[in-house]
Amino acid sequence: MQNAKDSFYIALRSRLTTVNPQRVILLRGSVRPGILVEDAEGPFSQLPNDVFVLRWMGLGVEMNLDSAMTAEQCEFVYQTCGTQSFGGLDRGRALSAMDEELIAILQPFQTPKLNYIATPPAAMQTQVFWDQPEFGPVTNQKDRMSRSVHVVVYSYQEQGE
Amino acid sequence: MPTNWFSNPAPVVRRVRAYFAAVNRQSQIPVLFDPTEQGAFDLDNPPAPWISLGWIQGFTRKTGTKTVAVMTGIPASALEQIHESLAAEVSFQFLNWTKLTMALATGSQHMNLLTPASGVSGAADGAQAAAAVTVQSGSTATTIALASADAAKFVAGSIIAVDMDYAGQVGFVGTPIAGAYLRAAVTDVDYIRRVTFNLALVSAVGATSLTLAEALPGGAPVSGAKLQAIAGFVDREGGCFFQEWSALFVAEASQGERILFHYPRLQTCSAAIETVAPIDPKRKEGLERVLLNGRFLALPVTDPLDGERVLCYRSFLPAANALV
Repeated sequence: MQNAKDSFYIALRSRLTTVNPQRVILLRGSVRPGILVEDAEGPFSQLPNDVFVLRWMGLGVEMNLDSAMTAEQCEFVYQTCGTQSFGGLDRGRALSAMDEELIAILQPFQTPKLNYIATPPAAMQTQVFWDQPEFGPVTNQKDRMSRSVHVVVYSYQEQGE
Repeated sequence: MPTNWFSNPAPVVRRVRAYFAAVNRQSQIPVLFDPTEQGAFDLDNPPAPWISLGWIQGFTRKTGTKTVAVMTGIPASALEQIHESLAAEVSFQFLNWTKLTMALATGSQHMNLLTPASGVSGAADGAQAAAAVTVQSGSTATTIALASADAAKFVAGSIIAVDMDYAGQVGFVGTPIAGAYLRAAVTDVDYIRRVTFNLALVSAVGATSLTLAEALPGGAPVSGAKLQAIAGFVDREGGCFFQEWSALFVAEASQGERILFHYPRLQTCSAAIETVAPIDPKRKEGLERVLLNGRFLALPVTDPLDGERVLCYRSFLPAANALV
């Protein structure tokens, strides 16, 4: 299951660098694409603005198949206050831009499964694939707008996993 | 005094597993399953020649057997019953797509799409194939010996079909599993490899051999067999061939008890139909899984025990220490 989660995250991170190379975050002293996995970082007192935070939630397994299929529920949380140069008045536009970027990086709806424990990452036999995103409503908290999006990520368990 | 038995309620099962074995179509000899000797087999490693087709869903048995009462007297009353007709159907959905599940869910020939030769004109069931290569002696069900020049034509991940050249014969063709019935001769030298079930995935290529990821269903290639790569499968709505296989369905229950349904002769009785089902029942608009529908007519065999004609054997192996 971890291979599928890693592959999904790395695929989206790679796609984000193409869709919007300017969306970055300075994290632990390095500049990285603006998407991170919450459980792989230190705890946040408050989620960072203008980046996608990926959170793994529910898990389902269908075992009555020749290869067991896992369904992992993933939540993207992102928020923005807009830009200082516009005094935050562009926060709606900024959130729309993030919506569009998320739609863009989620397509195509599959990516090869790789084992990132190996160096370099080793290609596996199957594809990780996911369903259409379900966008939650916008939440306003003072000058901050945020949204939560749910995606179910599917993968087949391979031999040795 | 402690009891060493318990009363077991009705079996609780999750799903049913399916196993099929080829009927010898020439001699009409089915494969028999002995529940006393084989009933406790490892579900992941069925006894030869049974081939596991994995879990199935929607397993439904339907009897068409009719009985009528012989009436006598005034007013008439039933004197006895007789069987007027004997019929049964089985239907279910396969949870995977393979050569065998596709063929079983198709009421006709099921063909392999042989890799085409370069520059040939197209055809709906595959263009003229690239030339077959000859299997060398010493081959087994999992290793194919080839001349070095021939081995170099394949790569790991290739799917291969292994069978004889077509030589003008009519009747059942395909060794040892019949894949079609020819009423008249055809001109395609590759015809048998188009319909053969003797397929496998290549896992590794050596200088003079192919290592297969799975054993060929027909076992070691016969002398004179040839080999071609295939790109996939095709079946047709229409045609006159009926797949016929022996079938075994196993439902293993929560206390270890087993229900086994053995149909010595099952013929596919519907054309290719698929069912589309959401993979997440809570999200009807989401991703869908395409399932092959199988519907089969049971044909009778004569039980040598007492000469009765029967369609199916249902066996029950109780849980340990369960009252009977």
